[in-house]
Amino acid sequence: MISARFNRPRSVVTLVCLWLIASGHAHAQQRGAPAANQQLFAEQVGPLLVARCGQCHGSKQQKAELDLTSLAGIKAGGESGPLLVAGKPGESLLLEMVVDGEMPPEGKNPLTDQEIKLLRRWIESGASLDAESTSEKVSQWSVLPILQLRCTVCHGTRVRQAELDLRTRESIVRGGKSGPAIVPGKPGESLLLKRVHAGEMPPKRKLVEFSIKPMEKPEIELLSRWIEQGAVADAPDRDDSTAAADPLVSNEDREFWSFQPPRRARIPRVNSSRVLQTPIDHFIVSALQKKQLDLSPPAGRQTLARRAFLDLLGIPPTVEELDRFLLDKAPGAYQRLIDRLLASPLYGERWGGLWLDVAGYADSEGIQHSDSVRPFAYRYRDYVIRSWNADKPYSRFILEQLAGDELSDYSDPDKITSEIHDNLVATGFLRLAPDATYFGITNFVPDRLNIIDDMIEVVSSSMMGLTIKCARCHSHKFDPIPQRDYYRLAAIFKGAIDENDWLKPTRQSGEPGKLDRYMASVLTAERKEWEADQQRIEDEVKKLEEKIVEIEQEMVATEQQQRIEKLPASIRDDVARTLVTPPSEQTDVLKYLAEKFGDHLKVTREELLKINVDFKKSHDEIQQSIKTVREQMKPQPLIRALWDRGEPSPTYILKRGNYLTPGRQVDPGVPSVVNNSDQPLEIQKGAELAPGTGRRLALARWLTRPDHPLTARVIVNRVWQQHFQQGIVATLDNLGHAGARPTHPELLDWMAVELVESGWSIKHLHRLIMISAVYRQQSSVTEEHLSRDPENTWLSRMPMRRMDAEVLRDSLLAISGRLRLEFFGEADGVEARDDGLVVSTPSGGTWRRSIYVIQRRTQPVTILENFDRPQMNPNCVQRRNSNVVPQALHLLNNKMVYDLAVAFAERVRAEAGTNRQQQLERAFLLALGRPPSQEELELSLRSMEELVREWQQEQPDRKEEAPQRALENICHAVINLAAFIYID
Amino acid sequence: MLRDSTPHPDVSNAAPRSPARRAWFQSAGQGLHAAALTWLLGRDLFECPTAIAGEQVASNSARRRYDLKPRQPHFEPRAKSVIHLFMNGGPSQMDLFDPKPELDKRHGESYFEEIAGEVENPGAAGALMRCPYKFSQHGKSGTWVSDVMPQLATCVDDIAILRSMYTTNLTHEPALFIIHGGRMVPGLPSMGAWVTYGLGSENQNLPAYVVLDDPKGLPINRTQNWQSGFLPPLYQGTRFRSTGSPVLNLSREFDEPDRVTAVERQLLAGLDRIHRKQRIGQPNLDARIASYELAARMQLAASNALDLKDEDQRTLEMYGIGKEPTDSYGRRCLYARRLVERGVRFVQLFIDAQIWDSHTSLKSGLKSACDRTDKPVAGLLKDLKQRGLLNETLVVWGGEFGRLPIAQLPGDKNVENAGRDHNKNAMVSWMAGGGIKGGISHGETDPLGFAATEKRVGVPDFHATILHQLGLHHEELYYLRNGLKERLTGVQPAQVITDILA
Repeated sequence: MISARFNRPRSVVTLVCLWLIASGHAHAQQRGAPAANQQLFAEQVGPLLVARCGQCHGSKQQKAELDLTSLAGIKAGGESGPLLVAGKPGESLLLEMVVDGEMPPEGKNPLTDQEIKLLRRWIESGASLDAESTSEKVSQWSVLPILQLRCTVCHGTRVRQAELDLRTRESIVRGGKSGPAIVPGKPGESLLLKRVHAGEMPPKRKLVEFSIKPMEKPEIELLSRWIEQGAVADAPDRDDSTAAADPLVSNEDREFWSFQPPRRARIPRVNSSRVLQTPIDHFIVSALQKKQLDLSPPAGRQTLARRAFLDLLGIPPTVEELDRFLLDKAPGAYQRLIDRLLASPLYGERWGGLWLDVAGYADSEGIQHSDSVRPFAYRYRDYVIRSWNADKPYSRFILEQLAGDELSDYSDPDKITSEIHDNLVATGFLRLAPDATYFGITNFVPDRLNIIDDMIEVVSSSMMGLTIKCARCHSHKFDPIPQRDYYRLAAIFKGAIDENDWLKPTRQSGEPGKLDRYMASVLTAERKEWEADQQRIEDEVKKLEEKIVEIEQEMVATEQQQRIEKLPASIRDDVARTLVTPPSEQTDVLKYLAEKFGDHLKVTREELLKINVDFKKSHDEIQQSIKTVREQMKPQPLIRALWDRGEPSPTYILKRGNYLTPGRQVDPGVPSVVNNSDQPLEIQKGAELAPGTGRRLALARWLTRPDHPLTARVIVNRVWQQHFQQGIVATLDNLGHAGARPTHPELLDWMAVELVESGWSIKHLHRLIMISAVYRQQSSVTEEHLSRDPENTWLSRMPMRRMDAEVLRDSLLAISGRLRLEFFGEADGVEARDDGLVVSTPSGGTWRRSIYVIQRRTQPVTILENFDRPQMNPNCVQRRNSNVVPQALHLLNNKMVYDLAVAFAERVRAEAGTNRQQQLERAFLLALGRPPSQEELELSLRSMEELVREWQQEQPDRKEEAPQRALENICHAVINLAAFIYID
Repeated sequence: MLRDSTPHPDVSNAAPRSPARRAWFQSAGQGLHAAALTWLLGRDLFECPTAIAGEQVASNSARRRYDLKPRQPHFEPRAKSVIHLFMNGGPSQMDLFDPKPELDKRHGESYFEEIAGEVENPGAAGALMRCPYKFSQHGKSGTWVSDVMPQLATCVDDIAILRSMYTTNLTHEPALFIIHGGRMVPGLPSMGAWVTYGLGSENQNLPAYVVLDDPKGLPINRTQNWQSGFLPPLYQGTRFRSTGSPVLNLSREFDEPDRVTAVERQLLAGLDRIHRKQRIGQPNLDARIASYELAARMQLAASNALDLKDEDQRTLEMYGIGKEPTDSYGRRCLYARRLVERGVRFVQLFIDAQIWDSHTSLKSGLKSACDRTDKPVAGLLKDLKQRGLLNETLVVWGGEFGRLPIAQLPGDKNVENAGRDHNKNAMVSWMAGGGIKGGISHGETDPLGFAATEKRVGVPDFHATILHQLGLHHEELYYLRNGLKERLTGVQPAQVITDILA
């Protein structure tokens, strides 16, 4: 709870005076220990704190949200909670920090033993500050967060039970149906307190349903005191960091390399024995030469082709594609190859997939055992693939994901263009974290705060390269990121993600007219197609139903005829006439007959079904058809998105990250250390085309400024890491103090500027990197390398890399001819076998690429998991590359891998015939992108002979199959080769 | 002792320095040198570039290697291995180990209002409900146990019951994340992963962390219960199945004559050798060859470990093997003993269908859960003791939360079939062996058993105690990630439960 602040004393002198007055006052009223203790504070402890701590924890600057120069500040404590436990120095944070030597921080003079003793004595004897702490003024800003937490779900933004809104002082006093909720000055007469005291509010039986907890005793007391004191509407104690000079972040802090805008460095002049291709080479060679090294010789063309294919597309080259490159003898053949690969739609599937790691994409909610699937999540996946294929400017890509909804007017469902659609789908990025808030019991405010925290982690680790998450509970330990920066960032998202106004992940709506977390704004054409399809199905059903009625009428007529036949002949005709004559035209006779025989002649459908076998048969058949037709009905196409809802609740710093201890209120903002004060964040409410707070759009625009210190560096580093296994900054998610330093800072900056100036074109970056002599090097290691560049930090050779999980699976499918290239759409299913193995389900004997296999959080596909496809909790910025036994076991013993080897062998035989040498050459070419060496060929041929013999002995009645069996073994061995999974 | 501990000298965990590297490099041409092979066995080559401020931040070469070699604990350990008998569903504290005379007295009294915010299903909340069984005192210590656990009652002098445990979430999934991984967050390393990360294993031919789940089906949260989270996957639990091949993909899933397989493997090894010869200085390739060899050895070792042929009839009977309803759990208990005998560091047993989740029919349901497990668990404790293994094996029993003192009524509101709903404020666990003082009941709950009151034990304290018995300090066992020292016990302070230490 924030405490009321006294007017902050402007100088130490006035502060001490104030204390002296306070203690004098105390003296008059009280005698004995407390008074002595207060005096001790006023005369010695207070001045000590001002002198030794006030510089950082004072009125000007409040590091760790702590002000040690005011009574209120000391009472309130800081971001780590209360400072003092009266009588218990061992449990008092203030003393702990001092004794542990954590404070004053390194470089400053520590407190003397004498001073520590003083503090200890004061705390032991009661840690009194002033005489009457209970009379302290209660601010409305201590009370409103309590009501927000405990009451506003039913008396707030969306729902106003009893017409009561408990969000502001004004609306509280105004009250609802039953009158004002409070009477200022009279807690006893205040309805709100009465209901709370009676235990009626919040209602006990509804607590879990609405995910709230009853008010706690100290909270009720605080509320009561506030009312007693007249329920004053004081001004909020606001964060003042938007002022020109942020007191918590200094200019010195901003001097750290990654907080300075990147500048295009001069390209170093170097002499190399290799042919240098791009400026990248100059930077790399320049660093290598400091180690008396040079680039390695270029790799052979076959090696290079396989490297480029696996790198850009994630599958090996086909024989035809390989030939096309090898036979292209004209200059620029390699550049043309890179261009072809970048133009391939398979590129987006590979590189978009890498972004999905960073974004934390999954097809299910996670956490709960049911692990509900997220319908239409795939739209975001497809959006990402399309964006990478289109080489969408990276800045635009960020803009759409952070604030797509604020970029476009989606109010008219008949005017949803593919651009609007993509803008909305993109915002799904902010909703990827695992989420269990669909049950009341797992949807309390702290549960929601965890999901917001995940979202902030995804945004900051993927786009900003900062570990802002650390500042949730305390100011960042290594970077100049005060705790309030975390909450300012949370406030940016609050128009759409608000823990006090929560949208549950389930599709059922809490809000009329809107499906929670889903929008119906799909492409107009798609919606119309769906509607037409619905109409068609309904028409068909209607027709079938009419058909039943038609048959029914016929059968009823026959039945009636039969019944009439049984009547006396004299009245048959008249009775029959009653059935065809409208009542208004009936004569009295007919009326009489109609009344008399009406019931007898009435045949209901139920009756007919019982007595008429033929009708029942037709009826059941048609009903079955109706069912079949109805099964074609598809759920309404929706978008999983996020949108600004316009009414964010206020954001408070949460001390220690605890939702029960809100502190100062903060405005939306970005980390001060990366924000130049001459270019403040500009938030325009309702800017552009859509209504809303405009906060996320401002964040996105700020992030994509050309001179932003982090954005371009982070993505350049990521792309670089993907090509070379390690980033220029080894810690992809952390460019801050605790992260690694760049090995080639000038190169990183040069590329960052180049990226921005190319219009944020990632494909341009690929070209620059892949054309370079650095990328084209051999991967062989020499003794010189091992002594001068053992970890390949300086890129003295191309690193040898292992295929990623998806690349491995897709490559296995590709070479065995079982890969179905089919883009986009709903994910393919998986089967979780009883033994725990999870396999993807084929369709017609083929599979799609791994990116299209459903990513259930609880059912990771075993082969992908074994080869380090990460769990998304919430995202993965850097994959690990392990080498463990289950990988060997999987490739050697798994049935699907074996079946693929059999298919691979079939293909080899079909393409190479029955000549063993040709078969081997083909198998090697398909899997490894090169023919076998003489040594490999001889060894393989010998084994093949032996295998044929073994199979002939084993299956004497099927000797003719032995060569094919042997080829299957060869193919199975080939896909187990290190040469297959490790890329030279 | 049967421990087949690795015969190779302990090698420094860091990458070899230059001279060693040079020697290895020179020998690399003539096939893999034995020492190098050992060094590479089962290693997970993994980049861990995160360094805290001041620690090598100037270089990005802070690569570390992770492995399963035995490692020095922080201090003298009291236990070498852990058997965690995980009791899925949340066993009822006041019906098993925590007698509540006050609850008997107030049986039938309404209590919902007092605990409203803590009841997941208010609609089904009934009145206070007494324990349907009798409690009596057992052993020299006079420990209270209810009469549904007659066998365990004979072991109480070796057991420390934690009556005052509590957790922070009352639904299964999050509570399982907490009890296995320390916090209510998916994707954290499980306790077993932390232990093997800290201590490695004494048997390199078996996984360091073995999970014996119920053949009838995976528990709630499935394999997430034994995941390695952000720790290298090397440390994740390996499921051993009691029928068929014990480890997934351990043996061929397809038919093929053994001799054919042998020729194929020879060819594979030969081609890999040729490939490697041309690529000296690539440790990945050597590690890969080694992992293929280890795969073959593991097949043998794992099958042996689960082969009960050499167990005598008396032993099988102790565990209730061959009889229903104890056979299945009894087998897993015996496997657990055989695995710790072989140097496996952490063995975790799961049981299907949340048998302890007594929402309805408390009396019969809880009894049936005890009938299935009481004898096997007591058998395990006695068997470990008679073999001198209990001294060095920490046995831990418990679930993810406790239960409420009020009844949970079934749809027809028939009190006869009532059960108890979840409760996070009190739960019960016990520990035995591995330096734990027997014959004590630690802490207290309130008179109705709703919440832990005296000497409260949070899950982090529980974890810290388990680590402590293994010689690990919970604050020193950490992993650097995103600038944070990640620990099993998180950032909040945790206390070892010193009262229960021998």
